[in-house]
Amino acid sequence: MNNTTIKANVSDDSSMQHAQAESVHRFTERQGEYYSAQFEKIQSSNRLTVTFNPKAALFGPCWAAARNIWGFFWLSTFALLFSLVQLGRGLWGELGADKLAQAARLSDKSQEMAVKAQSALEAGAANAAALLRNSENLQRAADNALAAANEAAQGAEQLVIWGSVFLILVILIQGFIANLVYEKKYCQWRINNSEKSGFSYPNLLLGLAMLTMILPLMLYRFTAAKPVEWLTAFPANKAIFNSTSSWLDKAFDAIALQGAGFFDGITYSIRILLDGLEVVLVDTPWPVTTLVILFMAWRLAGPRVAIFTIAALSYLAFLGYWEKSMATIALLGAAATLCVLVGVPLGIVCAKNRTVDSIARPVLDFMQTMPAFVYLIPIIAFFGTGKPPGILATIIFGMPPVVRLTALGIKQVPPSIVEGALAFGCSRRKLLLDVEIPLAMTNIMAGINQTILMCLSMVVIASLIGAEGLGTDVLMALQFAAKGQGLLAGLAILFCAMIIDRIVQGCVKPTGRPAG
Amino acid sequence: MATDVIQLENVWKIFGKNSELAMKAINEEGLDKATVLERFSCVVGIADVSFTVPRGEIFCIMGLSGSGKSTLIRHLNRLIEPTAGTIKVLDRDMSALSNDELRGMRAKHIGMVFQHMALLPHRTVLDNVAFPLEVQDVPKFKRWEISQHALSLVNLNGFEDRLPHQLSGGMQQRVGLARALASDPEVLLMDEPFSALDPLIRHELQNQFVSLTKTLQKTTVFITHDLDEAIRIGDRIAIMKDGRLIQIGTPEEIVMQPADDYVADFVKGISNLKLISAHSIMQEINSYTVPEGISLADAPRAKEDTNLEHLIDISITTPLPIIITNAQGVDIGIVSKDTLLTGIKGKGDE
Repeated sequence: MNNTTIKANVSDDSSMQHAQAESVHRFTERQGEYYSAQFEKIQSSNRLTVTFNPKAALFGPCWAAARNIWGFFWLSTFALLFSLVQLGRGLWGELGADKLAQAARLSDKSQEMAVKAQSALEAGAANAAALLRNSENLQRAADNALAAANEAAQGAEQLVIWGSVFLILVILIQGFIANLVYEKKYCQWRINNSEKSGFSYPNLLLGLAMLTMILPLMLYRFTAAKPVEWLTAFPANKAIFNSTSSWLDKAFDAIALQGAGFFDGITYSIRILLDGLEVVLVDTPWPVTTLVILFMAWRLAGPRVAIFTIAALSYLAFLGYWEKSMATIALLGAAATLCVLVGVPLGIVCAKNRTVDSIARPVLDFMQTMPAFVYLIPIIAFFGTGKPPGILATIIFGMPPVVRLTALGIKQVPPSIVEGALAFGCSRRKLLLDVEIPLAMTNIMAGINQTILMCLSMVVIASLIGAEGLGTDVLMALQFAAKGQGLLAGLAILFCAMIIDRIVQGCVKPTGRPAG
Repeated sequence: MATDVIQLENVWKIFGKNSELAMKAINEEGLDKATVLERFSCVVGIADVSFTVPRGEIFCIMGLSGSGKSTLIRHLNRLIEPTAGTIKVLDRDMSALSNDELRGMRAKHIGMVFQHMALLPHRTVLDNVAFPLEVQDVPKFKRWEISQHALSLVNLNGFEDRLPHQLSGGMQQRVGLARALASDPEVLLMDEPFSALDPLIRHELQNQFVSLTKTLQKTTVFITHDLDEAIRIGDRIAIMKDGRLIQIGTPEEIVMQPADDYVADFVKGISNLKLISAHSIMQEINSYTVPEGISLADAPRAKEDTNLEHLIDISITTPLPIIITNAQGVDIGIVSKDTLLTGIKGKGDE
């Protein structure tokens, strides 16, 4: 009984080895024997195995290209290039050539001075001594330059030595890691057979072509004393830039003119919302506003947040920031409201519709990464200055998180729960309202929170185009380098943000129950 | 009136972009699964499945994972559309229903229980159970009342206002069952409902489920990968492999006459004590010679459909053989201890 099982194992083993060798042969296409032996050696040990691949060592980039390992190709090419450039500079580079020329120039001048001094001395002029001193100084400078030139020339030897040491190191490292890298590649190939990595002539040719293109140019650039100009600076065409930017200018002007009614409409509707909020926040007597905010903080987020809110509000009030803070919050509130009104439905559509998603994604990236100053310019062109354009700029920057997180939340609703709802005859509308949105609520609220904070971070930039509030104070402080004023206004913005953030986070908790 | 509640005729499901083309090719050329995958890169999920389920029956579909059983059950309420074939539930062609009719059908007539419960985590147990009623616009008071009753059917009174995650797995699945029963549907679809539960709870729920469906007279399609469960629960069992039904029959038929080696392999380990009846092992009463020193006068009696397990229980209590009677109470056969032992061993050896 035992005998048979052992036998079976042995035969299994050898057949497995055979299969492995055969698959390595298929993988490498050439020199299968060598690589199957090397791979077996690597795979038999748990430690780092020492194997040396002489071909990879000598022809590093070419070997990598032929074997389709482009990461190796580039690293090896750059290492090679670095050492060759050092060698080249050491051997043929005219190091210190500029210093030598300087020395010659200086010593010429010194000679000249010396001649002048001589003649002045003979004539008995008063400035003779000064001229002589001048000449001596110049001669000393020339000697210094000459010494520097010599030193640089001696540096060439060092460059040659270091270059060769580095070259040898590169060759050795290539040789030692080539098989390890190739074995990793083999393991990947076993998972996905489409990742070809056998020996291939087209790849070798491609690698060679790149090498012949890169190496001579680089060597020339670093060894020649004065390389051709088009190599060091791209021959850009100023005319293309000018015509493009002036064309864009005209386009903006035309749009602003054509769409004046549309833009005014947007400005007007934003103004209505903003006015409403300003009436509530700014024109309401401060005790009422304080009371309401405190009550909200206490009920929604608990006593700790309420205490913090008292402290923050009194900071704003006692330092005279009250009115400006309320104006800022009104501005921010209008921006955030619009963000949520547009962003949440947009996020839902993105989650449901692939096409919309693929269009919206780059647009959102653009909105988030484009520096605010860039889109401030067209906003001024289209909407003028003042608070509504400031709100628009804030919306552009603040909307992406709520869209993204809403889409994420809807996508993350477990398909089994959706299926369960559908199996009981749930309609699409009910599915969205009663299943998907409630389950995505945690994410949506996180998105809203992010949006509010990002809107707040825009107040300083929005104040640049006339959206007055706390941002204006920071801006003024910046202009007059008023450190204290800037810090106080900055803290005021921070406190506004923290109050809103804590209250909104307090709203999130009761709905955000863990799923399942 | 033994009507067929569920009727499937030549149902095919092929997954993939070219499913129509693949279906046509299968009809014309009779391709097999591997060829379809190679030529059209389509996966055959369900292949030519036909069966009917009469009212009140528990129909088990048994198969290993990947055999297409979960896909098949989703055809019955059209969560998945068939590529070809007709599916009738309660005499209505499911493929022909409009969206509204389909929703009505799902809400009123077809209840479903899922392996992973699929309860709404943000709703209380009561509101979860009331969900199918809510879909039908039943007013809140009424639907809470009905749901309360459904919860009492599965012994979950007192948990109405908990959230699903506060309940154990077995309790959650009972909520799932209550939800499926809430709108009193005629058809129950059970998609491996007890697979994710631990063995003790599973056993308990199986028993609860069988007695519940028997009293409520629900027509049930029950998916499982466990033959023991299928035998314990099913009136009839269908064995599924690679998208095809390879045998349909009562548990006894499946165990005693497996259609092929695949089924035979499955039933090998199944105890036949509950499946074999006295009738199939007894000796004719006329051919039985009473051994000396024994009088049959005190011998116990049992009906001819008594199973072996029960016969063993009787036999332990007496040294005498057991007399078997038919439905009218007439003695027709004898089971001695020897016959009983042969009967127990009998089929297992073949």
